[in-house]
Amino acid sequence: MKEISELDFPEDLYYTEEHEWARVTDGNVTIGISDYAQDQLGDVVFVEMPASGDQFKKGDAFGTVESVKAVSELYMPIDGEVIRVNQTLEDAPELLNQSPYADGWILEIKPGDASQLETILNRDAYLKMLKES
Amino acid sequence: MSNPTRTPFYGEHLALKADMVEFGGWQMPIMYPDGIVQEHLNTRLGAGLFDVSHMGRFIIRGKDGLAFLQHVLTNNAAALDIYRVGAQYTLIPTETGGAVDDAYLYRFRQDQFLLVVNAANRKKDWQHFRQFMNDFHGLELLDHTAEMAMLSLQGPNSREILHNIISHGQLPEPRRNAVSTVSISGTEVLLACTGYTGEPIGFELFMERAHGPGIWRRLLNEGATPVGLGARDTLRLEAGLPLYGHELGVDTDGGEIPILSCPTAKPAVSFSPLKGDFVGKQALKNQFKDLERIINHDCQNLAHLPRIIRPIALIERGVARPGSMVLKEGNPVGVITSGTMAPMWLMEGDGAESTMTDNHGLRAVALGYVDSHVQMDNPLHVEIRGKRIAATVVPFHLRSDMPPYARPILHSHMV
Repeated sequence: MKEISELDFPEDLYYTEEHEWARVTDGNVTIGISDYAQDQLGDVVFVEMPASGDQFKKGDAFGTVESVKAVSELYMPIDGEVIRVNQTLEDAPELLNQSPYADGWILEIKPGDASQLETILNRDAYLKMLKES
Repeated sequence: MSNPTRTPFYGEHLALKADMVEFGGWQMPIMYPDGIVQEHLNTRLGAGLFDVSHMGRFIIRGKDGLAFLQHVLTNNAAALDIYRVGAQYTLIPTETGGAVDDAYLYRFRQDQFLLVVNAANRKKDWQHFRQFMNDFHGLELLDHTAEMAMLSLQGPNSREILHNIISHGQLPEPRRNAVSTVSISGTEVLLACTGYTGEPIGFELFMERAHGPGIWRRLLNEGATPVGLGARDTLRLEAGLPLYGHELGVDTDGGEIPILSCPTAKPAVSFSPLKGDFVGKQALKNQFKDLERIINHDCQNLAHLPRIIRPIALIERGVARPGSMVLKEGNPVGVITSGTMAPMWLMEGDGAESTMTDNHGLRAVALGYVDSHVQMDNPLHVEIRGKRIAATVVPFHLRSDMPPYARPILHSHMV
């Protein structure tokens, strides 16, 4: 596994304590897992995702990511309705390792209350949490 | 075990930037920077090098050495000779036909045996053996775990790699369980055609502790790649080989798993007259009769073998994990004992002519402890986080009978 300093954490994202990221694009929010999360998991071999139309509250488990040795739940950073899931992950789960912030995105949601993003971590706060853990 | 022990290869693992974990009281590499998937694929295509020095190594010798082994192990130790077959899979049985441990018995010299046991069971096995020692004369039982280093080299290129570094002596005959003694870098190395990966070509190497790291480096220089405990588990699972604590020992309800529940244990249980009476013999005979009936599809009232270990494939997307329930027509019929996604090279062509392509995929493989009446190809489900995923019992996940490659057999949904 890598040192924190070797990992990538883009400035323009929000992060959760459970290592999901959220990005706002044209009023919708894209969700994935952080570079730290994919490095801790190791080779991702399976992703279980919800269906379009599913509704979630902030903190709800919405799916799972599995590596060879570990199963991790995924949690919603904010309230919202799923409008798109990244189906390519079904046949190419390794995208979560190779490109966690771009090709390895997991969901796009229509946020219930986008102001909830201000209650989760920004890059600096997330990095501080990682360094202190 | 507060202070995990280091194998002689500890410094090599750190130099290769392995992720280290504690396993059975030892500090071991779970994986190297390539990761578990690549290490698994490297073994199937080239040659994987494993530090297995954490395993327990007991020397048995003296006048009654053979008689002792015949009494406390299930296989026929008298069948070993250093010229033809020098190694055998065996089990350490309980009086009631369960497993204290599974083990490999080697005979590199006429006058002594080497028994390799699981790291986590080493102290338990030792105590178990001590109960029987007073019945034998001139018996020496020695724990040489710390004095010896042990490596495993597995995969299609392993024979050529070893050939390149041997200075004296011959490789063993190309046959499972053959053994030989050779010289590498001026030190004596014991070689056996054994392993825990399902590879048709593979070796285990024993040497004095101090000479281990030098031989490790020579093997890497010749093209072997290091493999950690993570891929060791996916490789053995794909090959359908049992792991103590999952397929052997006690089940999830705390009940003893009968040894012959594991189909791979069958050739390791001998009722040869040469063995005489041995620990658990009557219980194993009863299990054996039930196993014959299961093979003949006569599955009523199997008191001694109500459940057996079977390879299970998932037909729909999903990953079965230990503890997942197995259902038939909606009724529970067993439990998953080991399960993961295993990588595989995609093959081109048929049978022994088939060769590996440059492409690889992933598929769910599992072993389950299921009711003995469950038949091959019965439609089953495995319950994973509340969802029922279609599954079936299959004969194998992997074929090992056509060297040089171990070939995947596809029943599962593939990614």
